[in-house]
Amino acid sequence: MNFVTGRRAPVAAVLLGAAALLASSSLGAAWAQGRYKEAPQLAEDVKAGRLPAVDKRLPENPLVVPVAERTGQYGGVWRRAFLGPADANNYVRVVFDSLFRHSPDGGKIEPKIAAGAEPSADFRTWTISLRKGARWSDGAPFGADDILFWYRDVLLNKDLTPSLPGWMRNKDGSPALVEKVDDATVRFVFAEPATLFLTALVAADGGDRTFAAFLPAHYLKRFHPSYTAKEEVDRAAQAAGFKTWTELFAARNAPPENPERPTMAAWAPTSRVSDPVLTLKRNPYYVGVDPEGNQLPYIDEVRFTYFADVQALNLAAIAGQFDMQARHIQMTNYPVFKDEEKKGRYRILTWSTFGGADAAITFNQTYRADPEMGKLMATRDFRIAMSHAINRDQIKESAFLGLGEARQGVPAPWHPYFPGDEHAKKFTSHDPALANRMLDALGLDKKDAQGIRLLPNGKPATIEIAIVPAFGAWPDVGQLVAKDWEKVGIKTIVQIRERALHFKMRDANELMAEIWNQDTTGFPFTGNTKFDIRIPAIQIGNFGPLHGQWYRSNGREGAEPTPEIKRIVELIDTAKTVGGDAQVKVAQDLFRIWADQVYEVGIVGLTPMIQGVVVLNSRMRNVPAQVGNDWPLRTPGNARPEQFFYQR
Amino acid sequence: MIRFVLQRLLLLPLLMAVFSILVFVIVEAPPGDFLTSYIATLASSGSSIGAEHVEALRRQYGLDQPIWVQYLKWVGNLLQGDLGLSLEYQRPNAELIGEQLFLTVVLALFSFVLTWIIAVPAGIYSAIRQRSVVDYILTVVNYIGVATPNFMLALVLMWVAFAYFGISVTGLFSPEYQGAEWSLAKFLDLLAHAWLPSLVLGIAGTARLTRVMRANLLDELNKPYVVTARAKGLSEWTLVLRYPVRLAFNPLVSTIGWYLPQLFSGSLIVATVMNLPNIGPLLLRALVNQDMYLAGSILLIYCMLTIVGTLLSDILLAWLDPRIRMEG
Repeated sequence: MNFVTGRRAPVAAVLLGAAALLASSSLGAAWAQGRYKEAPQLAEDVKAGRLPAVDKRLPENPLVVPVAERTGQYGGVWRRAFLGPADANNYVRVVFDSLFRHSPDGGKIEPKIAAGAEPSADFRTWTISLRKGARWSDGAPFGADDILFWYRDVLLNKDLTPSLPGWMRNKDGSPALVEKVDDATVRFVFAEPATLFLTALVAADGGDRTFAAFLPAHYLKRFHPSYTAKEEVDRAAQAAGFKTWTELFAARNAPPENPERPTMAAWAPTSRVSDPVLTLKRNPYYVGVDPEGNQLPYIDEVRFTYFADVQALNLAAIAGQFDMQARHIQMTNYPVFKDEEKKGRYRILTWSTFGGADAAITFNQTYRADPEMGKLMATRDFRIAMSHAINRDQIKESAFLGLGEARQGVPAPWHPYFPGDEHAKKFTSHDPALANRMLDALGLDKKDAQGIRLLPNGKPATIEIAIVPAFGAWPDVGQLVAKDWEKVGIKTIVQIRERALHFKMRDANELMAEIWNQDTTGFPFTGNTKFDIRIPAIQIGNFGPLHGQWYRSNGREGAEPTPEIKRIVELIDTAKTVGGDAQVKVAQDLFRIWADQVYEVGIVGLTPMIQGVVVLNSRMRNVPAQVGNDWPLRTPGNARPEQFFYQR
Repeated sequence: MIRFVLQRLLLLPLLMAVFSILVFVIVEAPPGDFLTSYIATLASSGSSIGAEHVEALRRQYGLDQPIWVQYLKWVGNLLQGDLGLSLEYQRPNAELIGEQLFLTVVLALFSFVLTWIIAVPAGIYSAIRQRSVVDYILTVVNYIGVATPNFMLALVLMWVAFAYFGISVTGLFSPEYQGAEWSLAKFLDLLAHAWLPSLVLGIAGTARLTRVMRANLLDELNKPYVVTARAKGLSEWTLVLRYPVRLAFNPLVSTIGWYLPQLFSGSLIVATVMNLPNIGPLLLRALVNQDMYLAGSILLIYCMLTIVGTLLSDILLAWLDPRIRMEG
C-alpha cells in the first residue's frame, strides 16, 4: 500500500470530527481583487456582458484546492459512461456536491462549499461557517437561508420527510435544532454529544434520491406549498404527470433530473440522467480556485454516455472510449486492461477498497428454517472451524487475480480504527485438520457414506451459501469455499439468485449464509453499517434479522441477542458521543469482538474489486495514484476532480 | 369480409382487458417491488440507502397500497390514455417510449427490408436450381444462420471489429452526434452504424425465410398446373414467377403480421449487447428494476400490436389468395 505510516496521526484527528477544520480564508485573501483567472470560455462571456467578472462570481474566501501534480490547463471533455437513471450516484460521486468532503486518502474531512466547522467543547453544538459571496450556478446568492430552507421546509415537513434520518434525531426522537446565526453562519444543536456529525453532514449531498442539507431556496420555493399556493403546486404536479406535489418537488430538486435546478458543484447538468447522454458543463460560479488563483474546474465538460449493459460498457472502456472511469469497470477484466495499456492510450490505476473484506461469508445468527443448522451457525467454534477450512490463498489467486490479501472484515492497516494484525488475520490460516478436530468436538463426529457429517437428528450437515453476482467473481469464490467445506464434511450448496429476490429473502430471514463484501469498516458508526444489527436486514447484509427485530420492537418480537451482540450495539451508541482517543478505543474494541466472534468470515480484502480499476486517459493529469476508495468518500469525488486536467 | 373485420375489432377491448390483468400479474410476479430492486441496485454499486428514506419513497410512489388498488389505478389511467409515470426515470412512460420509438422502427424496417431482399431471391434460386452447388452453399449458410443465436453473432462481430480493426461498434451514433439535434450528418452517421445491427438482427430471419421460400416453391413446382403451363410453352422464368412463386408467398404473408410487434420491440438481447437505444433494453431494464408501470405499458402495447398484426395478416392473405374467403 502506498499509504505512509506517518499519515495515521492526522487521520485520527479528523475521523473523530475534531476541531481541526478551520476556514482556509487567509489563503484566499492573499490574492488582491482582480487577480483571479478564469477559463477562456468564461472570459469571452464576461467580455460579451453575459457573465459578471470572475472576482464578482467568487466568494470573499474561495476554496483553495491543492493540485495533485501541477497547475492545470483549461479545456477538454471528460468522457464517462453510466447505466441509466438508477445510476444517478455516478453523477453524485463525480461532483461530490457537499458542504464538506473527505480528503483524497479518506483520512480527513475538509471544507468544500462551507468554509469551516467548529464544535462546542461537549460536541452538542456545531457552528458551520459559509463562504460570504458564494453563489449558486445561476448566480443567485448562497447562504444560511438555503440550509434553513432544507431544515424547516424539507426535513421538518412530514410530507417530504415522514421520519427523521438518524443523524438529525435526538435520543428522545425530537429533531436536532438548526439556527441561523447570520447570513454566513448556521448552528446545529443536539441534545446529546454528536461527535460524528460532520461525517453525516458530508453524506447529506443528495445521493440516493435524498435531499441534500442545503437547497436552492430561491428556486425550489415555487414547488413548495409553504411559499406558493397549494392549487398552483398541485396543478404543476399534475401537468408533469405526478400524483402529488412531493413527487414533483423531489424530481425538480434532483440536479441530474432537472438541469434548471441550480447547483454548487464544479459542473452543472445541462441534460438529464434519463437522456442517452448526461452532460455537465462548467459552473461559472464554482467556489474553488487552484493555489495560483485559477478558478476551477479545469475541464470544460463531463459527458456520461448511456450503456444498457455493463459488458458493453467494459468493451467500450477497453477500446479507450472513456477518459477516467472506475465505476462499473470489472476487476475480472483487469488482465485485458493491463494488456491494452501497453498501446499507450490509457493507464490503469488500482484503488483498493477502504478496508474490510471484498468477499465475506455472513452466518445468519437467527436462522430458523433448519433449527439444528441454525444452532450450529450460532456456535462460535463452528464458525471458527469453517473459517480455518477455507484455502484463502487459492481463492485470492484464482478469483482475485492475486490482488489483495487474506483478511477478516476489519479496517485497513492505515486506518486509526485498525485493531491490529492479530485480529485482521485471526482464524484465516488454512488448517483443515484443526477444523476437523473442532467439528468433531462439537458432536459432529458421525459421517454418512459420502463423508458428510451428520447432525444430531441424523440429517447431513448442509449449508447453503446465497450469492448475487454483484461484484468480482463471487460465484467462483462460493464454489471454491464449497469445495473446501466439503473436505471437512460440511455439505455446501452454492445458490446464485437474482438480486431483488436475494434481498427479499434477507428481509424474511430466509438466507442461511451469504457472500457479500464488508465495506463498512471505514465508517462503522454512521450510515448503513453492517455492525449495527438494528438496521433492517434488507438494507445491508445483516447477521441476525431476528435480533434486529428484537431491538426495533423494544424486545416484543424477534430473538434476544447474545451478550456479545448487545455489547457491539452499546459500543456503536457510545462512539457517537465520545471524541478523540476514546472513540478510537471504542472502535478497536468493536473490531476485536467482530474478528473474535466471526459472525462474518472474511476471505480476501484490499483488492480493487469495487470501482477500483481506474481506466485513465494517458493525457489526463492530477489524478492521484492512490486514494481512499469507498462510497462514503464518494470516490472519485474525494480525489478533487475539479483539478483534473488534460495535458496538451 | 367486413363483418369478419368488425367482429375481430369488437373482440379487441375484451382481449385487452384480459391481457391487462395478465400483464399486471406478470410484472408483479417477481418478489419485492421497485424499491427492493432499487436497494439491491445501490448495494451492487457499493452504496446504501436509509430505512427511513425507503419508507418515504414507498409512500411517495404508492407502493404501500394493496395490489388491486395499484391495478385499478393503473387501468383507470390507461383508460384516460395516460400510461403513467416511470418509477425509475420519474418521467411519463409515454414520453420515454416515444423517444425510443423512432430508432426502434428505423432499425426494424432496415433489418426487415434486408431480410426480404436477401431471402426471397435466394429461396427462389435454390428451389429452381435444387441440388446445385449454390443451393448447397445457401443451405449450409442458412442452417448456421438459424442455429446461431443472434446475440452470439453480435458478440463475435463486436469482438472481431475490436480485435482486428480496433473499433468499437456499439451504439447507433458516434459520441458527437449522441445528444445532438437531427441533421443530415447525424442521419448519415446513423446509417453508418445501423447496417451491422440490422444484419445481425436480420440474419436468422433471412435464413428461416429462405428455407421456407425454397420448401414452398418446391411443393408447387411439381404440381400439374406447372407442367401444363410449361407444356403450353410459357418461358420458364415467367412461369415460375407468375404462378408458383405467388402461391409460395402464402405462408410467408400469413406471418407478416407478426412483424408488427417485432418492429416495435426491437430484439431485446441483441439491442442490449450492442447497446442500441431502442425499446428492447428499455423493457429489459423496466422488468429487472421492477419499474412496473413502464414494463406493463410496453407489454400491453406488444399485446395490442400482436392482435392487430394477426388481423392484418388475415386480411392480407385473403386479398392475396382468392381461394381463402371468409363466410358471409
